[in-house]
Amino acid sequence: MKDLWQKADEIPVTLLVALAYLTLALLTGSFGMVADSHQLDAWGWLTPRDVAIGETWRLFSAAFLHGGLIHLVFNLSMLVSVGPALERTMGSVRFAILYLVSALGGHLAICLLYDELQPVIGGSGALFGMLGALLAWNMRSGRHLFAFLDFEGPRRLLGTIAVNLAIGFVIPFISNTGHIGGLLAGFVVTFWFLSPTRKLAASRRPWQVAFVALFLSLTLAAVQPVWRWDWLLHAASHATGERRVALQQALARSILVAPPAEISPGLAESVFAESEREMRDFDLQRRR
Amino acid sequence: MVDRHEELRGLSTLPAAPVPTRGTGERVALAIVWLVVAVPPCLWLASQQAPEAVVATVRSATAILVSVLLWGLLGAALAALLLPPVPAWFRLKLDALRRSLGSDRSPLLRALGELQHFASAQRHCEVGRLALSRGEHSLALPHLIAALELDPRAPATHHQLGLTLFALGHLPHAAHCFANAEALDPGHAFGDALLYAARCADLLDQHEAALAGFERHEQRHGGGYKSRYWHALALDGAGQTLAASNLLRAIAARPERRLSPEENWFRSLARLRSWSRRRA
Repeated sequence: MKDLWQKADEIPVTLLVALAYLTLALLTGSFGMVADSHQLDAWGWLTPRDVAIGETWRLFSAAFLHGGLIHLVFNLSMLVSVGPALERTMGSVRFAILYLVSALGGHLAICLLYDELQPVIGGSGALFGMLGALLAWNMRSGRHLFAFLDFEGPRRLLGTIAVNLAIGFVIPFISNTGHIGGLLAGFVVTFWFLSPTRKLAASRRPWQVAFVALFLSLTLAAVQPVWRWDWLLHAASHATGERRVALQQALARSILVAPPAEISPGLAESVFAESEREMRDFDLQRRR
Repeated sequence: MVDRHEELRGLSTLPAAPVPTRGTGERVALAIVWLVVAVPPCLWLASQQAPEAVVATVRSATAILVSVLLWGLLGAALAALLLPPVPAWFRLKLDALRRSLGSDRSPLLRALGELQHFASAQRHCEVGRLALSRGEHSLALPHLIAALELDPRAPATHHQLGLTLFALGHLPHAAHCFANAEALDPGHAFGDALLYAARCADLLDQHEAALAGFERHEQRHGGGYKSRYWHALALDGAGQTLAASNLLRAIAARPERRLSPEENWFRSLARLRSWSRRRA
């Protein structure tokens, strides 16, 4: 087992991620200024609705796709500047876990807080996760949690995070929700699971259990958002009998701002039919 | 003056010091995480029976959460503006946080390591002092008692032990330790032993002794915000309400220099007490 871990730790994960970026960029036409949106959809961009209707693989695939040459170059340069040092420090397996968990964290934040039909792509959530990991690693490695503030290099890290978040807030088509989600996921997974510590392992076990449970719970919320119109519409169209009626009522309740007494079964059914037709048109247009 | 055997007999009857556990803040944070964890599964389970109720609940909960956040922010801002202890308390806690984050356990561990090579009263006392400064009372107590066993005439040990016992709420024993420190070295720790002895006396309802202690402290060492506030409480306890009010007003007066977080805290308490008296 130890040998297997050692061998796995020799895999150059940063290089593999960079190759995945480049290969998918080639396949989706991202070497132009703007990538082909149909290709991006086919290769796995992420919308909260896609995840809610069962396409959960998009939670990972979107972290390797990019919307154009500028997006690709920016993320690739960030990956190449931060990744190798972090990978050497943590080990390849831990680095791979960090990348995937951060990407997932960013995409969960998007699924829970973003517009249901807005597509999102890019590895920036995972890259912010790396910055969060660097922060957590620095906090864990010093004499005390904030000892790293005595050094200029780690202090600059905070500046880098702040500047990148500020850019995200200023430029409208950048999803800072995903960035912050990735940053938090990277920080948490490194601080509680992947970093060295002088404390006893037992003292952080309750937090580890709580964070694993939180991650699973949020994943459930993203995959089955039972309060959201898109999930209710999908569920109602696949249900029968009383369950279908109940889901239609809930759908009408989530779309219409009206007292429950005013939502009759007939109204609920017409809201459902109208919504279903609109979504069918939307999907047709998306694939055309 | 210092009867070593009586001292140790008294201390052996103390209840065991509490074992350090997870802090309240950490427990609350963990509870909040678990609360958030519970929400999605509960919603999912509820949606199997009543999907409409889930939609209504989420909508209401979101509205309530937003209102609570907005009103909470407004309330906090108003409290910070109108209630003097609120910003003072934040400043005090921030200072405590800064000190706890800015200190590490290595001097304490080093002192414990040195103790293993050769145990002396001074080394036990050093371990006790460092543990006390980090709030590790259960670690400080046995070392200070051991230091006292080896050298019962060290005023610093009595003082540190008194502070530990005071923090743990063993007031009669703490008062005894402070009295010993003061008797061995009058004015020990710039009058801190005398001040705490007076405070213990006040908390034990020995108001006359407390007043005498506070007055002596003020004469010899000058009054600080903490000592004058405690003095005012002792005056109140002794029924001298007018003198207490005057003293509280003097403490609450606008300071001429920037106060430390602790001084600021006691001034804000005096302001609040003075204000509530005026209203009454």
